Amino acid sequence: MKTTRRSFSVGAASTLAAIASPHIWSKKSGEAWGATLKQGEPIKVGVLFSLTGDLAVPEADSTYVLQYAFDEINKAGGIAGQPVQPVIIDAKSDFNVYSQKMKELILRDKVIAVFGCYTSASRKAVLPTVIEFDSLLYYPTCYEGAECVQNDICTGPLPNQHSRDLIPFMVKHFGKKVFFVGSNYVWPKESNKDAKVWLNGVGGELVGEEYVPLGGADFSGVLNKIREAKPNFIFSTVVGASTIAFYKQFKQAGFSSSSMPIAALTTGEIETRAMGAEFGAGHFLSAPYFMALDTPTNHKFVNGFLSSPYNHSSVTHYNMEETYNSAYVFKLGLEKAIAQYGVEDVTSRKLRDISGGVTLDDSISPEGKIWIDSDNFNTWLTPKIGQCQSDGSFKIVAQSPTQIQPLPYFIYPALGVCTADGLKAPNGTIQKNVL
Amino acid sequence: MTSSNLYHNSKAQWAVYAVFFIIVLAVPAVIDDSYTLNLLATFGVFAMLALSVSLVWGAGGVLTLGQGVPFGLAAYCMAMTMQMQAQTPDSPMPPFMANNSLTQLPLMWEPFKSTTTGLLIALFFPTVLWTLFGGLMFAARVHGGFVAVMTLAMLSAIGLLVLDIQPYTDGANGITPPNALLIAGHSIDPYSPTAYIIVAVALVVLAALSKALLAGKFGLVTHAIRTDSERTRFLGYNVFLYQTLLFGIAGFIASIAGCLFVMLEQYVSPAQLDVSFSVGMVIWTGVGGRASLLWAMLGALLINAGQTVVGDTLLNTWLLFLGIFFILVVRFLPKGLAGVAEWLVGFFLRRRGPAQHQAVAPAHEGG
Amino acid sequence: MEHMIFSAGFADALLLGLSVASTWLIAALGLTIVYGTIGVINMAHGEFIMLGAYATYVLESKLHVPFLLCLPLSFLIVAVIGLLIERLLIRYLYDRPLDTLLATWGVSIVLIQAVRLIFGSDPLYLSVPNALNQNWQLGFFSISVFRVFILAVTLAVSAAVWLFMQRTRFGMQIRAVTQNRAMAASFGINQKRVYAGAFALGSGLAGLAGCMFGVLNIVLPNMGSGYVVQAFLVVVSGGGSLVGSVISGGAVGELQSIFSYFADDTLALCIIFTLIVIFLRFRPQGLIAPSASRR
Repeated sequence: MKTTRRSFSVGAASTLAAIASPHIWSKKSGEAWGATLKQGEPIKVGVLFSLTGDLAVPEADSTYVLQYAFDEINKAGGIAGQPVQPVIIDAKSDFNVYSQKMKELILRDKVIAVFGCYTSASRKAVLPTVIEFDSLLYYPTCYEGAECVQNDICTGPLPNQHSRDLIPFMVKHFGKKVFFVGSNYVWPKESNKDAKVWLNGVGGELVGEEYVPLGGADFSGVLNKIREAKPNFIFSTVVGASTIAFYKQFKQAGFSSSSMPIAALTTGEIETRAMGAEFGAGHFLSAPYFMALDTPTNHKFVNGFLSSPYNHSSVTHYNMEETYNSAYVFKLGLEKAIAQYGVEDVTSRKLRDISGGVTLDDSISPEGKIWIDSDNFNTWLTPKIGQCQSDGSFKIVAQSPTQIQPLPYFIYPALGVCTADGLKAPNGTIQKNVL
Repeated sequence: MTSSNLYHNSKAQWAVYAVFFIIVLAVPAVIDDSYTLNLLATFGVFAMLALSVSLVWGAGGVLTLGQGVPFGLAAYCMAMTMQMQAQTPDSPMPPFMANNSLTQLPLMWEPFKSTTTGLLIALFFPTVLWTLFGGLMFAARVHGGFVAVMTLAMLSAIGLLVLDIQPYTDGANGITPPNALLIAGHSIDPYSPTAYIIVAVALVVLAALSKALLAGKFGLVTHAIRTDSERTRFLGYNVFLYQTLLFGIAGFIASIAGCLFVMLEQYVSPAQLDVSFSVGMVIWTGVGGRASLLWAMLGALLINAGQTVVGDTLLNTWLLFLGIFFILVVRFLPKGLAGVAEWLVGFFLRRRGPAQHQAVAPAHEGG
Repeated sequence: MEHMIFSAGFADALLLGLSVASTWLIAALGLTIVYGTIGVINMAHGEFIMLGAYATYVLESKLHVPFLLCLPLSFLIVAVIGLLIERLLIRYLYDRPLDTLLATWGVSIVLIQAVRLIFGSDPLYLSVPNALNQNWQLGFFSISVFRVFILAVTLAVSAAVWLFMQRTRFGMQIRAVTQNRAMAASFGINQKRVYAGAFALGSGLAGLAGCMFGVLNIVLPNMGSGYVVQAFLVVVSGGGSLVGSVISGGAVGELQSIFSYFADDTLALCIIFTLIVIFLRFRPQGLIAPSASRR
């Protein structure tokens, strides 16, 4: 017991000593964690996706396509004459690791920006760190919006863009009655709220809305309810491996894509291939990009990537393309920032602020011209509707004539509008970093 | 406990603990980069979890696979407290709630408006719940693998519940308080030495108290229950009470760990209630040595440090190695690394003649 | 009319419950043997299910074995793997039940990672004869043929296991060892052989389940992790006996189907887990415990 008392006093003493010294309540004052670029040195960026574990199926491809994009950029002379050096990290599908590795990238490797995260949960896990150190996250996938953070740039579609054309298209071709099926978490529920807006716009009728556990594989109960409700089509926001179980059980339960097709937001080339094309054929997907897009830029992208050493699954899908574009949004933004401030004075903050309005024209972006919104830093893009063919590829059957504006607070006008400085409420107050 | 092995000598054990405590507390004097401090503080939280598992499993002989329940619930309460610190009269409700069709702050969030109340709830609500759950099991004289399965079921149920009540918890996305914890006007920067020292002091105090607890009568009775609960019951001890108390204490330690985790990470999600995380705690404890509080903590430190240092280079093979390593430890070193230490100490520092400890039950504790 | 539809849907949910029950039961069958006989808490059981699915994948796509033949073959393959693991690891741990739990957890990690390294993390696809990809409509009721197939296989396998335990010499030996180790040994029963055989049998049954789950759901390296908790709850609440598992599997399946009819699937699982915990509080030995003490 004597020792216990001694160790208590040791503890107390160092605590007191700690509190007494001035720097103790904050980070060491002299430490510069803000990354800066140096003339003649490579530009370090972080790449934070899961290469192993459950999330590796979509995320490993994101890492590969970024490596491909940076190689391409470096071969063409880098950014303002300096090569990009990606620091590749495996987040192991573990949210604790995401947060820890984000700290490591910012504080240890002093990267100017990080490309990373696929799920919203991992994004939320890293954002406090990104905000704390005023760094920059490129988030290259679709998400639910309703977030106004001043330290990220998103190149995927928001719900207000994603289903805007899909629902009217389906109602027009198949009928008014729709059944919503989603994985039980935030993104599907938010996407469904937007979908309801489009549905009301064309006089459709929602006959059922069901959510299955994330990663769940038993859809028997849901299919039972679908049979009862007799919809004309299904709107699916089921994600990940569950998608495959859903489509297979859908067919096994006797439903057919010709009489009751599924319109989905994430069932792309990878999923249809994994489930077997017979289960995917005839169903629909809305995405800004399809591998089958017939444009010179896309041919160059597909051929280039598939013949590169980074090709693992012989596919380029919407998520990879959005990630590829994020690398070019970074390149053009950084060139603009360097021209404005000079290499040595560029910070993550300045890079973010100057990226509003950065435009990738259709000679760079495989999906066609896109640009970054200068208020909310999401992307103006063109959603397309594809129908799965018997070989698992998609045929584009409809396409919006123009780019659609990203609106993260589309269904919550009462909360305000996301501006470059923060969420501007209807009464004029501005709140920074609304997560 | 007389034994020829210095390893079982109580004074020597305390001396080793003291050295460990001093090292833990002295870290900020040596290391001054924010990243490492924050990382080590997180490891300290994991060590606390291993400590709690070691109490229930090593000392109590009851394997819990649900230690994530008190940890996760406390983490949620702490995140709710910190989230409410960021709310103003202008925006009285966390932003995610509006996205989930709530128009006013739900009742279950009301108490977290006050930081003091919030902290008290974070510390005591999971503890009380876990103690009640333990009481329920031990009253039914559930033991062995059944406790493991029931704690596992409880963990799965609570994990699913947190996912399902999305308007109140933001489901799979979790809660992300935008600012660091504010206590009495001081913002506790998670990267500051202060944050580290709070964790370190908590760890040292909890470890010292646990060690003292096991060294006393409580430890002796617990040991008796672990060896033969029926016999202990016949001797007139209230086995139920001791088991429940130990379970509750471990729950309390896990709750503290949960609070500190969110203080450091500013983030909580159902991942903290994941089965694999709770099993992870058991693995750290098992590799270090379930019967030794100190080695359990060291196990947590070693495995997490291992993952940080070599996890990136080994990728998929890291988990493969960890799995094989763990199997080998269970097969050949049931006492974990502590068993190796015990043998080494016994081999090199043998003091008295022939071993007389055969007759004595092996001490729970080890240095 | 509203009422009619409601009751038809509810009746469908009840029928579906049978099918859900059959998946719970087939997942738990192997574990019932392993836990009920040897008292080993096999945390790698879900990974044996996963191995069954991957075995089917290899048989189907590489060797072009027809699906129906994959059922017995995946049983055999996984039984052999189980036997190997028993010989190399489990047999040293029979007197340390909690340690078998940990060691088998280690085994599960190793199996998942090994499969990831060999087959990659992408989901794989199993095909079945077209006849099984249909749907039956019987008045109000409607059910997929494959689910009926699973139900039939589950019933057949359960019956076969029951007959095996009751009628064969080895089954009798297993029961003898379960009831009283020492007594069985004194009658000359080789306990080690019985344990190894039971473990292999249990593993094989998991492999068989995996063969069907791979078709029904998804073939992924971590597909088994969901089943292990589920299977355990069935076995433990059933008491470790075959009949107990059949009853608890049936009850749990029906309840899940009913709860998800009224609420959602996530909440249904949550309620079931809670109910099982409460049930075990009042009946820790489970529904029908084998007629003797273990350990």
